[in-house]
Amino acid sequence: MIAYAPYLILLLPLFAAVAIRLFLHPFPRIAVPVSVAACLGSFLGSMMLLSSGTPPGGMAAPAIPWIELAGLKAGFGLVADPLARLMAALVTGVALLVQIYSLGYLAKDPCRSRFFAELSLFVFSMLGIVFADNLVTMFIFWELVGLSSYLLIGFWHERPAAGAAANKAFLVNRIGDFGFILGILGAWSLFGTISFADLPSRAASGAPFWAVTAVGLGLLCGCLGKSAQLPLHVWLPDSMEGPTPVSSLLHAATMVVAGVYMLIRVLPILELSAVTMNTIAWIGALMTLLPALIACQQNDIKRILAYSTLSEIAYMVMAVGLNIPGPAMYHLVTHAFFKCLLFLAAGSAIHGCHDEQDIWKMGGLRKRMPFTFLVTWIGTLALAAIPPVSGFWSKDAIFAATWDRPGLAACSMLAGFFTSFFMLRMILVAFDGKPRTEEAKHAHEGPPVMVVPMLILAVLSVLSGIFPVAEFLGMKPDHPHHSWTLWLSLILAVAGFVPAHFLYADAVKDPIQIRILQAKFYVDEFYQRALVATQDGLGRLADAFEGWVVRGFVVRGSGVLARSAGQGLRLVQCGQVQLYAAVFILGALGIITWLLWKGAA
Amino acid sequence: MMFGEITLGHYLALSGLLFLVGLVGVLLRRSLLIVMMSLELLLNAANLALVAAARFQKIPDPQVAVFFVITVAAAEVAVGLAILVAIFRLKKTTSAEDFATLKF
Amino acid sequence: MEQFFFWSLAVGLMAAATAVVTLRNPVTNAVCLVVALVLQAALFVTLEATFLAAVQVIVYAGAVMVLFLFVIMLLDVKAEARRPVPWPKVAAVVAGLAVVIAGVPKLVAAFPAAREPLRWSDGTTPFGAKELGTLLFTSYAPLFLATGVLLLVATIGVVVLCRRDPGT
Repeated sequence: MIAYAPYLILLLPLFAAVAIRLFLHPFPRIAVPVSVAACLGSFLGSMMLLSSGTPPGGMAAPAIPWIELAGLKAGFGLVADPLARLMAALVTGVALLVQIYSLGYLAKDPCRSRFFAELSLFVFSMLGIVFADNLVTMFIFWELVGLSSYLLIGFWHERPAAGAAANKAFLVNRIGDFGFILGILGAWSLFGTISFADLPSRAASGAPFWAVTAVGLGLLCGCLGKSAQLPLHVWLPDSMEGPTPVSSLLHAATMVVAGVYMLIRVLPILELSAVTMNTIAWIGALMTLLPALIACQQNDIKRILAYSTLSEIAYMVMAVGLNIPGPAMYHLVTHAFFKCLLFLAAGSAIHGCHDEQDIWKMGGLRKRMPFTFLVTWIGTLALAAIPPVSGFWSKDAIFAATWDRPGLAACSMLAGFFTSFFMLRMILVAFDGKPRTEEAKHAHEGPPVMVVPMLILAVLSVLSGIFPVAEFLGMKPDHPHHSWTLWLSLILAVAGFVPAHFLYADAVKDPIQIRILQAKFYVDEFYQRALVATQDGLGRLADAFEGWVVRGFVVRGSGVLARSAGQGLRLVQCGQVQLYAAVFILGALGIITWLLWKGAA
Repeated sequence: MMFGEITLGHYLALSGLLFLVGLVGVLLRRSLLIVMMSLELLLNAANLALVAAARFQKIPDPQVAVFFVITVAAAEVAVGLAILVAIFRLKKTTSAEDFATLKF
Repeated sequence: MEQFFFWSLAVGLMAAATAVVTLRNPVTNAVCLVVALVLQAALFVTLEATFLAAVQVIVYAGAVMVLFLFVIMLLDVKAEARRPVPWPKVAAVVAGLAVVIAGVPKLVAAFPAAREPLRWSDGTTPFGAKELGTLLFTSYAPLFLATGVLLLVATIGVVVLCRRDPGT
């Protein structure tokens, strides 16, 4: 029975989503509890799975045969190894808390049935990625997750900004998926298998270095799209147009880390090429620093958190590049808790200030929403990696692996400095000081359904550092532990608070204005220009082709040809009998000559 | 070889040259009357060749052919000149360049 | 002796023919043509075709050329004007000449009989009227009759063509 547990866990939210969408749409009072109940069911199933040992039949649930061609066998199968179980428990648990929170956040929204249906769909898709036992199955759910994200970002579809953001997310993901598909096909042609179980053994067989590197980079593209890393990171800040629960669940805790999860699954392939690993590590390192810098100058509370998400995911990516999947997963788990907590707290602040998201229009919330203030501080400490909160342990594990790579260490530790800086900036501006608007003056805490999940997450943020993730997964890193990484990173993190305090305590407007950071390094503008230039170029090419080849050559050309042929042939009809006779004689002469020569031969 | 005994080749060469001259006349003269005279030259060249063949091959049949050629040539000249007269009555000219009504 | 006659007659024939084609006065042309036809008849005699020589003189030189002269008189044809030398046409003529000169040896080589010399006292009987007549009325009788019809048709045609329209 327990072998089928993954199927049950996977399909329960799907049933909820379908039921709501088809039947229960007009009855939110029934639809919403159905969705929450399905999520609860999946969570309980995952916890059961997590606590039980290896089932007698092995860890894979029976597969459904699907594609069976010569050379390709792709079944539709689920696997429940420790990695999958951990992720499933995490995903369902956080999803459950967010759904409960949404009961309060969207209590007055007329479309909330649709929201919960789409959330359930998302949980189903994400669990699909988690439980998938081969790359093709994972890809199907990958795309489903992209769809769920599109639906949820654009949930308030009357807002044009939301629609645009949803499109951007989907399209940028698609670009990454293109590379992903190429990587899958390459892996399959090189190794003859796309099943995660077979990969470690098959990958060891010799394959040309450049081919393995290309496959690795292709698979990396999928991660870059889904987890929003350089250069496909542009969709994540825009995705904040969606409701805050969506931001917390998808774009902080679960969906964006799917890329990291995938990379860990295909690590046997990535390991084969040092070029791939280095690329991954450096992309990770750069992406810890750059978003942290941008966040120092952002004024929308959700955008600040979005950029910090980019930075934290980059830590996980860098960890994969350093071949320490254990600490990567460790950080993934702790980050899910504290980032989700921070987003829910931000949502609480937004809700309290009547949907105002600009921190410069808040202020003085400390006294009016003390609980939110407290949990925000807990989240910040975790994020900034201050001991003894969980974030410290996980981040330190990653820092420890950079002991012999000074470039990576420098980038990531500096990012820690700036992380502390902008988080304190956010807290000081939004919560301290005097309220700067009328709404801020009347802010109050949310209902219990919003408070309780935050409470649970706060506790988990503090304590989750105790859970030995790496050992549980069997991925303990095996490098010597140098304490200088620990001390240096800690010093930098604490030091980041200092300038923030001096600059932003009692500030009414931002004392520093750094243009390039405010403009997010102009990446969006660059892409826009590039896209427009390409389309213009292609358009011009098509126009020239149409003008010259189709209109000129084919259409007019055939006319000209016909007419000139006619003109030419017309000259033959001159009316002069003697000319006709001359041509006649010439022809006859020709034939006679030919006959004579032929006869003589 | 050329100035030795007269052979069939000589007669054929003569016929060929005569034909060539007639051809020149047919193609290059403007007055239709002269063209018809050149036409007679062509026919005569053919007759010469035929008679020479009859003599050297010792068969009478080419001579019969010549007989017919002369007869038909006479008929053809009669009709041709009648046409020429009719055209002249219409156009008052016998120059070949003036008869280009079939020009496109 | 054969050579003497042949060459003199040949040169004369070519000269007359060239005169027909090049001179401008139509009457001169007609007279030259008569000369050419008579020389042709003489050539027939050298080829021992005496009957045909007679026929040539009577029909061709006698009837056909008279017809030509009558028409010249009727139409009052004037001499043609001078024209500049048309070089492309001259080139064409030269080309034709080349073909003839090149072609005759080939033809000659094809017929072994072509190398036989001409001798007038061969001992063979030349064909006379009797032989020709026999052939005409037996083997080629249909053609003979057809030629008769042709002459009739030609006569009628000429009369019709030269009729003036009623009322002109």
